[in-house]
Amino acid sequence: MLTKIASRNIWRSRKRSLIIITAVSIGLWTGIFMMAFYNGMIEQRINSAISSELSHIQLHHPEFRKDYEIKYYLPEGRKMLEKIANKQEIKAVAGRVIIKGMIASASGSSGITINGVMPAEEQLLTNLKGKIIKGSYFNPKKENEILISEKLRKKLKLNLNKKTILTFQDREGNLASAAFRICAIYKTINGPYDDANVFVKITDVDSLAGIPKAINEIAVLLHSSKSVLEIQKNLSQQFPKSEIKNWMEISPELGLTVSVGDQMVYIFMGIILLALAFGIVNTMMMSVLERTREIGMLLALGMNKFKIFMMIILETFFLILAGCPIGILLAFATIGITNQTGINFSEFSEVYSSFGYSSIIYPTLTWNQFGNIVILIILTALFSALFPAKRALKLKPAESLKK
Amino acid sequence: MRETVIDAHNLSKIYDEKTIPVYALNKVHLHISRGEFTAIKGPSGSGKTTLLNMLGGLDIPSEGFVEINGTNITALKGNELVDFRLNNIGFVFQSYNLIPVLTAKENIEFIMLLQKRPEKEREQRVLELLKQIGMEDKINKRPRELSGGQQQRVAVARALAPKPQFILADEPTANLDSVSAENLLDMMLKLNQEENMTFVFSTHDQRVINRARRVITLEDGKIVSDTAPTTVEHI
Repeated sequence: MLTKIASRNIWRSRKRSLIIITAVSIGLWTGIFMMAFYNGMIEQRINSAISSELSHIQLHHPEFRKDYEIKYYLPEGRKMLEKIANKQEIKAVAGRVIIKGMIASASGSSGITINGVMPAEEQLLTNLKGKIIKGSYFNPKKENEILISEKLRKKLKLNLNKKTILTFQDREGNLASAAFRICAIYKTINGPYDDANVFVKITDVDSLAGIPKAINEIAVLLHSSKSVLEIQKNLSQQFPKSEIKNWMEISPELGLTVSVGDQMVYIFMGIILLALAFGIVNTMMMSVLERTREIGMLLALGMNKFKIFMMIILETFFLILAGCPIGILLAFATIGITNQTGINFSEFSEVYSSFGYSSIIYPTLTWNQFGNIVILIILTALFSALFPAKRALKLKPAESLKK
Repeated sequence: MRETVIDAHNLSKIYDEKTIPVYALNKVHLHISRGEFTAIKGPSGSGKTTLLNMLGGLDIPSEGFVEINGTNITALKGNELVDFRLNNIGFVFQSYNLIPVLTAKENIEFIMLLQKRPEKEREQRVLELLKQIGMEDKINKRPRELSGGQQQRVAVARALAPKPQFILADEPTANLDSVSAENLLDMMLKLNQEENMTFVFSTHDQRVINRARRVITLEDGKIVSDTAPTTVEHI
């Protein structure tokens, strides 16, 4: 009977009920969509960082990452590469020589990371070739070729086929430098990364750095992100003398971005929920006050306070139930469409790029997150109903019947 | 000797006790026996509704107490009092006060549902009462689809449904036209005669007063006259 009364009561004031249903729908729609939008942004950032920059796991000499000194290389690096490549879970693996140095042109110089890469393996690992916007990938027959970013090209006023000088300290601490001809210009979605990275063939720098045929970094890309910790543990057992880090450990700032973004979404959700809560408190309070006499009559007839309380809570619950499907449907439709088309913020691409984000966002959502938002909205609404329900409990039958 | 249903002892209701006390009721003694058809009359503000509220356990007296069938309801608290009302007292209010979202049938069934009576018993009782009030054809009508008189008849049926000890009716004919008021009174009188149901009314309405077996007059919270109680058998 309570259910019947509560469910019918919500249609007594259609306008008011529609307002609250609309508020729930919009709250749910905006909440779910915002979460999906943020997810898409972060997922793209992480995927881009993993597929273009970090890979899932990296192996180094335990001292290497402290100061990036060449002398801390992996003497058994090439053998390690072979062993790792044989694992089933590995999608791609490549060795690198990473050197901190300077790039110079007639117009200026810039501090950079020189990535000495194995062209074929690197292509599988980071699709470096795919990021080229001008020129062509490394030619195996040519020596001292370099890939620089579009940003660096502009900054140093360089161009394709022009020469540039790389300078760095070798294994012994002596300055080494060589001229490299620009074979290609690349561009990623991450501005700061583009600013600071150039690519050369490993064979062109390993001897120059004093570590011929050696490598100081092994990057590993897995088939699935889910097996990162398992493979990391496995590799740590296999190569106990090396430092083996996953992408979150290598790039803690990326983890920070995720958590800061999470906080932003929760703040945003909090604002939506607060607005929703105020709406519900207001609407249900009006509903209770308008029905003072009726509630007094129910109390007089013998309906106990718990049932009155439950009636108000149930009414709110039904209102939310009416609003939820609309909000969910709208959210799913919007996410479904934008996930395919993407949301284009190319007008702000410079801003997005400077934070390492793509200017086209593809919203995406997990069922878990979706469930959390729905539960959060329902809990907020029910919590908001407590205040009007409590108000109803304070009514005294004799006084209420006079109103 | 007839069984006493309501026994009010020294009932007072005082408002603004700490400043200038206003006596809504002033040391009222009242005994009502089973089968009575009693009207409480008096001018506005004489304390009729207050007395009815006290007798029904809807309000707490400042002094005195009310016994229903030997139970001191003034001493009952919270859910005990609610349950007592649910199982012993029927109410008919001035402005129909049906639950607007329920049909006539559901309104009549409502108290029995709160009492958790079996479905079969409820169905049977509802049909019986709808027949008694002559509204079998309005079973699925909601209050807004019924006239004032019809709504008030449903309210009486609802009060009767759980077979309470007595029915308290606060100005039941106040909002009715004369024909509806007469019909309602006929119906209540019939129920009083056939089911020996005790009715206590507060009223201004001379038609009700004329049909009552006992008339209690209140003025300034005091009983100023009380005609000899008579039950239907004694008429």
